[in-house]
Amino acid sequence: SKREIKMRKLDSTKVRPLKSEQLLRIEDHDFALRPGFGGSPIPVGIDVQVESIDSISEVDMDFTMTLYLRHYWKDERLSFHSNKNKSMTFDGRLIKKIWVPDVFFVHSKRSFIHDTTVENVMLRVYPDGNVLFSLRITVSAMCFMDFSRFPLDTQNCSLELESYAYNEDDLMLYWKHGNKSLSTDEHISLSQFFIEEFSASSGLAFYSSTGWYNRLFINFALRRHIFFFVLQSYFPAMLMVMLSWVSFWIDRRAVPARVSLGITTVLTMSTIMTGVSASMPQVSYIKAVDVYLWISFLFVFLSVIEYAAVNYLTTIEERKQLKKRGKASGMYSIDAVQAMAFDGCFHDTDVDMDLTAFSDRCEENETRARAASVSNVDTTRIKRKRSLKGNVGRIILQNNHVIDTYSRIIFPSVYIVFNFFYWGLYI
Amino acid sequence: SHIFKKNHDVTKTWKGKTEQLLRVDDHDFTMRPAFGGPAIPVGVDVQVESLDSISEVDMDFTMTLYLRHYWKDERLSFPSTTNKSMTFDGRLVKKIWVPDVFFVHSKRSFIHDTTTDNIMLRVFPDGHVLYSMRITVTAMCNMDFSRFPLDSQTCSLELESYAYTDEDLMLYWKNGNESLKTDEKISLSQFLIQKFHTTSRLAFYSSTGWYNRLYINFTLRRHIFFFLLQTYFPATLMVMLSWVSFWIDRRAVPARVSLGITTVLTMSTIITGVNASMPRVSYIKAVDIYLWVSFVFVFLSVLEYAAVNYLTTVQERKERKLRERFPCTCGIPHSKTMMLDGNYSESDANSLAGYTRNQMVPEEEKQEKMVVHLAMSNESNSSRKRGLKGHVGLRIIQNTHAIDKYSRLIFPGTYIFFNMIYWSVFS
Repeated sequence: SKREIKMRKLDSTKVRPLKSEQLLRIEDHDFALRPGFGGSPIPVGIDVQVESIDSISEVDMDFTMTLYLRHYWKDERLSFHSNKNKSMTFDGRLIKKIWVPDVFFVHSKRSFIHDTTVENVMLRVYPDGNVLFSLRITVSAMCFMDFSRFPLDTQNCSLELESYAYNEDDLMLYWKHGNKSLSTDEHISLSQFFIEEFSASSGLAFYSSTGWYNRLFINFALRRHIFFFVLQSYFPAMLMVMLSWVSFWIDRRAVPARVSLGITTVLTMSTIMTGVSASMPQVSYIKAVDVYLWISFLFVFLSVIEYAAVNYLTTIEERKQLKKRGKASGMYSIDAVQAMAFDGCFHDTDVDMDLTAFSDRCEENETRARAASVSNVDTTRIKRKRSLKGNVGRIILQNNHVIDTYSRIIFPSVYIVFNFFYWGLYI
Repeated sequence: SHIFKKNHDVTKTWKGKTEQLLRVDDHDFTMRPAFGGPAIPVGVDVQVESLDSISEVDMDFTMTLYLRHYWKDERLSFPSTTNKSMTFDGRLVKKIWVPDVFFVHSKRSFIHDTTTDNIMLRVFPDGHVLYSMRITVTAMCNMDFSRFPLDSQTCSLELESYAYTDEDLMLYWKNGNESLKTDEKISLSQFLIQKFHTTSRLAFYSSTGWYNRLYINFTLRRHIFFFLLQTYFPATLMVMLSWVSFWIDRRAVPARVSLGITTVLTMSTIITGVNASMPRVSYIKAVDIYLWVSFVFVFLSVLEYAAVNYLTTVQERKERKLRERFPCTCGIPHSKTMMLDGNYSESDANSLAGYTRNQMVPEEEKQEKMVVHLAMSNESNSSRKRGLKGHVGLRIIQNTHAIDKYSRLIFPGTYIFFNMIYWSVFS
């Protein structure tokens, strides 16, 4: 029985028969009038805890952030009598009946107050009339990004808070704890960026029609992780360029091989370049990754042109040799490899071929060649051992062209020098 | 000191509530000021915060702006010693009359509502009202792509009162042309914003009458750099790469064919890439003209090689037939019957199926071809000058085909000419 009485005393809903309307005198409270209406401006302190940075979008040039926004101000009309100095926490729906500051995010595109399971709003009133009003908000705001050093770039973004209706004469917005008002969750991180620093600052903004407003800034700098782009763009491009150098080491008589190597590397570079542009905004200046990819494309393109030059000069040289020798029939004794290079057909023995005659059927070439070689079989071996000069009817084409020899050294070295310049400039 | 503080607390000196101050209870918000009388003039002022995006596929644009209304409502006047305006909470607009401006041809729009509705209501003692809100609106813009991507688009945002005609509500720009202001850093990545200007007109609806309509017009000029880098430049490079085929020896069949067909494939990929981000219009765009003409060039280079190959085969067949008629001509040495000059009559040119070219310089060593005659009877120098007619014999096919030689000049020349015409027409 003694216990029962004690418990009954502790049941405070029975002790305090009041409603919040009576406690805070809501009926007399006009929410349309700010505290100190007609008098000096009311100071409203702001405190922010950033929960997460959800995404950064290059194409839209914006970022999405979720944060806890807390307001602190004093409204005498809400003071109530209390023995201890403890604050009272009320349901969020009470804010519809009292005055609250109308802070908004300048340059925001979309924003909302989370409302699961109920509106994420906290209202806490102290006996002297101090109010703490907290919200959980997700906001997407504009961030002007400069991509001239993409993907080796750093972006500076900021979220701006301002009162919509009340200018400097009515409401003074300030960071409650100065620079320490901005706190972040420990494990706030983005996959593509490294968040360098969060800082808070404040300023004044002027609107010609409505006056000066206090504006608070949440600034942060983001440095992009380059690893993804190295793996996705730089490395494949580099490999394609190196692959195009392979062409200089292949025998210049292997025409289909060298041409298809060159043209396929051009096609792959073109595909890599299209892939990078797909996820980027269409800016009007050149980006760092564009510089790298286009110069690599140029190298690959030049290797194709180089082979066209080699082939053309080889043809001219061959024609000159033909004229010098003056051989009427055009039959030359050449070894199997050279014969294969010319017509793409397989020969297993040295043959005498009509290098200028042309047939698209290998068998015909083969029989013609065999027929001719029968008649010349004695002279073949002797001819081979004689020197080229003065040897009528025999052209052994050189295996190397001087352009190829130079290219093997020039192309790689120029590309390496370019790489030194590029990485030195941008990193 | 306690008393002094009390005097400064205006909420205590101001016994009234908004309702009493502005006599909101007597204010019937369904009736406009001067109901039944002359039209009420409502001034409009706009500050454009940002142009969020322009979409070609949807043919619309998204803009965020501060929209301010100015009008006079005698019912809201209140006595005041100073002439200062009073700023009220945004929720008060639900209780008074406000103009019902809407955006004609808008697709989606909303008033930002974080943390509270971004609305400002400011009342002056004489009853003048300033009503401001922050809105994001997506509106239609008819775009003409016939000069894409060297185009300029003119878009406009239109404001009009929904219910009140010219006789009830006169909408006008508050400061004439100065009514439209833009933030300094308003910029788009793909466009250059040329100018913002305001106009106003009357719009007639047959069922409801004449309405005042205000226009916010702006012109956007597209930055071409991105398309140069992404579309024009790769297309030009592909056409140049297809010209490389004319310099490669025509006996290298696989090489020339794969070069030609791979450049066709890359051109096709570029064309598909451009059309992915474009609306499906029924007319041809400037970029389409360029890409399709380049595609035709590349296509013709493949056909050119097919012609060269075919004619070479025909030639080869003719030669074989001639050789069969006169056996054992192959092994016989040669010298005195070799014709080294290129003097042939018209008939010879025809009989050679167009392979030869008239050279008017017989002494020149720079031969393009050699033809060997095997004489049936006494051969003399005079016979050389005779026409080919009546001589059957062996021919060494030229290493360079006339079609190739012409193509090396015609293709680049025509392409450069096309480029000059294209850029002068469209730039």
